[in-house]
Amino acid sequence: MFSNDHVLRVMLRLLLCGWAVSSSATVLAIDEPAAPVITDSDRDFFEKQVRPLLVRRCFECHGGNKAEGGLSLASANGWAKGGDSGPAIVPGNPHESLLIKAVHHRSLEMPPSDRGGKLPAEEIEVFEKWVALGAPDPRTGTEVLGGMTREEALKWWAFQPLPEIPTATLASDVQHIDDLLQREIDRHELEVAPRADKRTLLRRVTYGLTGLPPSPTEVNSFLEDDSSEAWARIIDRLLASPHYGEHWGRRWLDVVRYADTAGENTDRPLPHAWRYRNWVIESLQNDLPFDQFIRLQLAGDLLVQQEQGPARADGIIATGYLAIARRFGHDIDKDMYLTYEDVIDNVGKNFLGLSLGCARCHDHKYDPISAEDYYALYGIFASTKFSYPGCEPFGQPRDLMPLLSTAETETLMQPWREKVAAIEAEKLQRAAVAESARQTVASLWTEHKQELFAATIAEGSSVGFEKTVQVRRGEVLVLTVLPNGNHGADSTQVEWTIQETSGTVPSWRVTDTVPNLLQGNPWTTPREAVWSFLEVTAGPTFLNERRDNLSGRGELKAWSIGSEPSVFVNSAPEPISVWTSLPAQSFFVHPGHERPVAITWTSPMDGELLLTGRVTDAHPAGGLDGVSCQLAHVAAPEFGLALAALGNATSGLPDPGPPPTIPVAYAVMDQTGKNAKLQERGDPELEKAEVPRRWLSIFGGQEVASDSGSGRRELSNWVSQHPLAARVMVNRIWEWHFGNGLVRSANDFGARGQSPTHPELLDFLAVRFVQSGYSIKAMQRLILQTQAYQRASSAVASAAVATADAASSAAATADAENRWLAHFNRRRLTAEELRDSLLTVSAKLDRTRGQEHPFPPTESWTYTQHGPFNAVYETDRRSVYLMVQRQRRHPFLALFDGADPNASTPSRQTTTVPTQALYFLNDPFFHEQAARLANRLLSTSGESNQATELARIEALWQGLFQRAPSASEIARTQGFITAYPGNATEKWTAQVRVLLASNEFVFVD
Amino acid sequence: MSLSLWTNVQTTSHLSLNFGYHRTMSHPHLPRRSFLASTVAGSLLLPGIVSQLLADSGDPLAPRQPHFPAKAKNVIFLFMTGGVSHVDTFDPKPELTKQHGKEIKANHPEIKDRPGYERIYLKRPQWEFQPHGQCGTEVSTLFPHIATCVDDIALIRSMHTSHSNHYNATLGMHTGSFNFSRPSIGSWITYGLGTLNRNLPGFVVIAPAQTYAGTQVYASDFLPGAHQGTLVVPGAEPIANVRPRVPLDQQQLELAALQEINAEHFAARQDDAQLLARLQTFETAFGMQMAVPDAFDFATETAETLNSYGLAADQKSGFGWQCLAARRLIERGVRFVELIDVGSSNNWDAHGDMMTHVPLAKNVDQPIAALIKDLKARGLFDETLIVWTTEFGRTPFNNTADAPGREHHPWAFSSWLAGAGVKGGTVHGSTDEIGLWTADKPVHVRDFHATILHLMGFDHHRLAYRHAGLDFRLTGVEPAHVVQEILA
Repeated sequence: MFSNDHVLRVMLRLLLCGWAVSSSATVLAIDEPAAPVITDSDRDFFEKQVRPLLVRRCFECHGGNKAEGGLSLASANGWAKGGDSGPAIVPGNPHESLLIKAVHHRSLEMPPSDRGGKLPAEEIEVFEKWVALGAPDPRTGTEVLGGMTREEALKWWAFQPLPEIPTATLASDVQHIDDLLQREIDRHELEVAPRADKRTLLRRVTYGLTGLPPSPTEVNSFLEDDSSEAWARIIDRLLASPHYGEHWGRRWLDVVRYADTAGENTDRPLPHAWRYRNWVIESLQNDLPFDQFIRLQLAGDLLVQQEQGPARADGIIATGYLAIARRFGHDIDKDMYLTYEDVIDNVGKNFLGLSLGCARCHDHKYDPISAEDYYALYGIFASTKFSYPGCEPFGQPRDLMPLLSTAETETLMQPWREKVAAIEAEKLQRAAVAESARQTVASLWTEHKQELFAATIAEGSSVGFEKTVQVRRGEVLVLTVLPNGNHGADSTQVEWTIQETSGTVPSWRVTDTVPNLLQGNPWTTPREAVWSFLEVTAGPTFLNERRDNLSGRGELKAWSIGSEPSVFVNSAPEPISVWTSLPAQSFFVHPGHERPVAITWTSPMDGELLLTGRVTDAHPAGGLDGVSCQLAHVAAPEFGLALAALGNATSGLPDPGPPPTIPVAYAVMDQTGKNAKLQERGDPELEKAEVPRRWLSIFGGQEVASDSGSGRRELSNWVSQHPLAARVMVNRIWEWHFGNGLVRSANDFGARGQSPTHPELLDFLAVRFVQSGYSIKAMQRLILQTQAYQRASSAVASAAVATADAASSAAATADAENRWLAHFNRRRLTAEELRDSLLTVSAKLDRTRGQEHPFPPTESWTYTQHGPFNAVYETDRRSVYLMVQRQRRHPFLALFDGADPNASTPSRQTTTVPTQALYFLNDPFFHEQAARLANRLLSTSGESNQATELARIEALWQGLFQRAPSASEIARTQGFITAYPGNATEKWTAQVRVLLASNEFVFVD
Repeated sequence: MSLSLWTNVQTTSHLSLNFGYHRTMSHPHLPRRSFLASTVAGSLLLPGIVSQLLADSGDPLAPRQPHFPAKAKNVIFLFMTGGVSHVDTFDPKPELTKQHGKEIKANHPEIKDRPGYERIYLKRPQWEFQPHGQCGTEVSTLFPHIATCVDDIALIRSMHTSHSNHYNATLGMHTGSFNFSRPSIGSWITYGLGTLNRNLPGFVVIAPAQTYAGTQVYASDFLPGAHQGTLVVPGAEPIANVRPRVPLDQQQLELAALQEINAEHFAARQDDAQLLARLQTFETAFGMQMAVPDAFDFATETAETLNSYGLAADQKSGFGWQCLAARRLIERGVRFVELIDVGSSNNWDAHGDMMTHVPLAKNVDQPIAALIKDLKARGLFDETLIVWTTEFGRTPFNNTADAPGREHHPWAFSSWLAGAGVKGGTVHGSTDEIGLWTADKPVHVRDFHATILHLMGFDHHRLAYRHAGLDFRLTGVEPAHVVQEILA
């Protein structure tokens, strides 16, 4: 009986045989004999010399199905059949072959002068040799699909089903990976680097999984843990860290070219895109199975239709992946065909490693993707409604997707709707009362009003009054402020005191209402008198709108109809300066244009009253004509009651408040499914035949069911279940830990991409990925335990010291790109890691999850192409939460090679430019973090003496480099502190800057 | 190690960096490699592999030879934002004056489905044209100073472009792509040629405000980041973080200490060129702190020079300032300088009133002429290519003949070249009699780019970069032709 292990090895050996062939033939993967039989050496010659030439020099015009002059060089059949001028090649006879004549620029001139002109002699020779050999061409088959024949494409290595490999223990899988790597290392006669020291490893893996440096405590506990499980425990701890999701989420955001703006001419903000960003972070944090991760991004809205609560919301939010596609132009609906291209391009690169976007204008030149394939997918996305970000001609966003089901929305809205309904009912009830009161009030007002005093008040001046009047209980005194001819409104201060001439009862003042103006209108005093605030243009009408905050000042409160007419008060104990200066604790009237305002007082008793007061134009302005005022007496005892009834019926209705906010996402939803028409040369105005919505032809071409909407649901399954999805993702995981992928063109697994350095390993990882239920964390547990991951990051020179010079060069050049992983790859911190590390060591990092950005409210947007949106928002949170703009790159992220917000970024570049060094010399943020760290160092270490100085140096080295300083480093630091001018803070801040700018801080071994 | 090291960095031990400021810094050719040699001499690093490491470091800005010899070493790219009217500036159309008010038909992108534009009428130019120079090229009275330079200029009157939106047309004029982000022409040039002075960026953009499409117009996109344009905003701190925050002698102490710690770090990692390359950038950055302010400090310019550019003594902005700064940058070995005259608002986009061209023309006219004359006087004209362009022209019609403005016009406009390799006093191509369509020898933006690359010594087919499995070129995949007739 064989052990599992044995079976595995046998299978691997079998697999290996298959790959041994393909490693010499870089393009064709599987060695199946094709007719006519081609010898190995002919095949090799074709693949290594002829095919690259055809691709580079000819395919631009003669690739694919529809080729210029009718000639396709994409298959043997193509050149045999030939174009308008007849067969291109006569096998074995270069002199008779049109192709050879053309490259010599004899009869035809190929390539023509506008495509680079005549080929170099050595390339012409290759073609001649090939034709003389009989033009051996493995590209059999007649059906050309994009840049390959169908037969050839079906054999393409990346499209093959994953092999079947029985499951095994983690330990044996880890060993197997190392074995596969070792085989190549041995084959290339390289010597492996030793295991890195523990401090290097901890720094490497902590940055690798969380993007942050390890703390000194974490270093110590790892150094003290000698058990065999120590490393595995570290990996588990880091995978569980809340910062894991942020770091790995950012990597995914790179690939999907996440941004917080739309990218059209005005670069409008996307205030809801952050929900997708955070969903990505949480999904990676929670190790959402990757196949489901794909499905939700393509069709989450369709997959959660039966769900409620967070599961439903998450499904919708996930389709933010599609919605964040770039928008183009001025009126973005007109350029949606470009947005669909951006989507198709990203879906292809992201999930499948295929440049599908290349097939928009014509069949793919190299990969088996036709323009029909492109428009088959186009129809799916064109049948999908995308949230609309707004643009210059249509300013505000719309079609944002609500995150609550109808039932949930109902539950949220119900209490508010009930409140509104109750108020409406009360309004109706009051209306009847009000109508009868209004008639009484109007007739008494006209018949019984007697003027006591009237005056015109010039602009900026004031008028006082003093009158005596006999009243009965229920009668009403009226002080009216009227606008004058040329101007409607003015802030008019009113002082008015009413007192019994007998003097037994305390007086009433209009300013009594100041502390609590909004208690009601009518405003009842403790002693039964009633103040009312009215507009009196055509009979008394109550000012019935409460305003508790004029000009943004809570102390300014008003009763009004609209913004004016109004009465208002400054309830503050001091003057407030707004449109004019308002004295402390004062009362004002503001008439409207031709709309006078009256303050009335209803008497609680019979008797003689003394009325004193002053009316002041409180907002003088040049060229205006002030206001007028009138004091009157409505001598009808029933008027007071009627007025109160009218007031109670029309004023002071409770406010239901704004409706509850329904959370929305920037996402997509389905529309009726509709096939697209092929667009000739990618021009939406040149529509050709309709193409059914379907999967890529080379992968089966299954069509979308006629009743299933856009087809995104089917697409999400086709994509997530294809072996490419697993291959592409394990390659990314590998790359994001090792610095390079096993396929070094992470977004391109097609003909122009690179072949895998370790094809068997790539497939092994893909198989295990699928078997683990597409667990990214399981994949990381696997590959991080390998010896390869734990190697030191310098190449080993194996020769003797005496010849070290030559040997070092040899080691450096033998595998200069470190394809065979005999050592680990050193790397610079990414932009985000650098900024987050600075915030970490300065103890300024806010570790909470970021939410929405402080964009201006959407109602206020007036962005145009002449004045586009532009902002940089500061935050102490992790850099994944920085606001990313499409048209204007974030200055820090742009400086340190951040992701491109306009195109998928599979791998970060590392450029080294002087403007980065200027950052370390002079940037205010950098200086601030250094100063914080220095201050912390000084404040925690006590008086400066030799012992505290040593402790500081020790703390710095441990904190920044996770190691103790060497004796020479201590000496140099002491020397620096002595020599550097200034006080202790200045000296130590300078020292900290030096360390933060050092290669040791900025690179990870 | 004695403390004297820290207080006397200029005299240096073998480990100290060359952080003194050299008078030679304004010279275009700096002995860059001697610094690295001095850094590593006698250290643990074995001298035999230094050259290997330097070769591997692949300095993206190291000077390189173009495909074939060319006179032009540098480019000054003058971009007029908003769309300059060709029929009012460089393309005289007497017939347009004669036919003023005549109704025409045109399937024009700017009037399609636009209410009020169902009918359109020809509109006469508002400025007179006069022949100038030996060559007699006609220029309107909007550019009296540039008119004096026509014998040095190759004027293209048959330019056309692919889009009528500012955003797209501006992106296209800078990157060859009318929709997607692609490397800027300045990035392509520094990618191809490197740069001559590492104390300054290779590609500098001087602009008072962002133009359409924002930073994309000078982005390196998929080309290495070293090729992205560095934005200079006229004013106090022209380049971010270039002003020292501590006194220079203290900064030298810090850099010396940095060099020590980096040297020790490097000693154990001698196979890694990127570590060395980063050390090198600190030396360059240190120099930039002096070289950048020096380039923008006009104190040594004579009053006569300042006058010729229309500059007051301590003026720090305006197009005259930009032009003089461009000359000083070119003198210092900066490869590509773009000057953008105004931002994305209040520019040449004269929908409302053509008279807004007057102050905009006045802003650039004298400085551009002064720049040409100044370069000639200094012998720099023969190695500098000057490009003057805008994103599109303006319509020779409007919806009434008396409408004061003109609309966007991608079908025809004028651009010109001058300087190294350019045949001065020529006019290439023409528009029809009313300036609506290009007539003779149309020049698309792609052809314009191919010609600029040719003048810099590049075959535009071959100046390519492999990205995402495809070979990208500034001129894209459509055919593009060098305008041979304007080459000297």
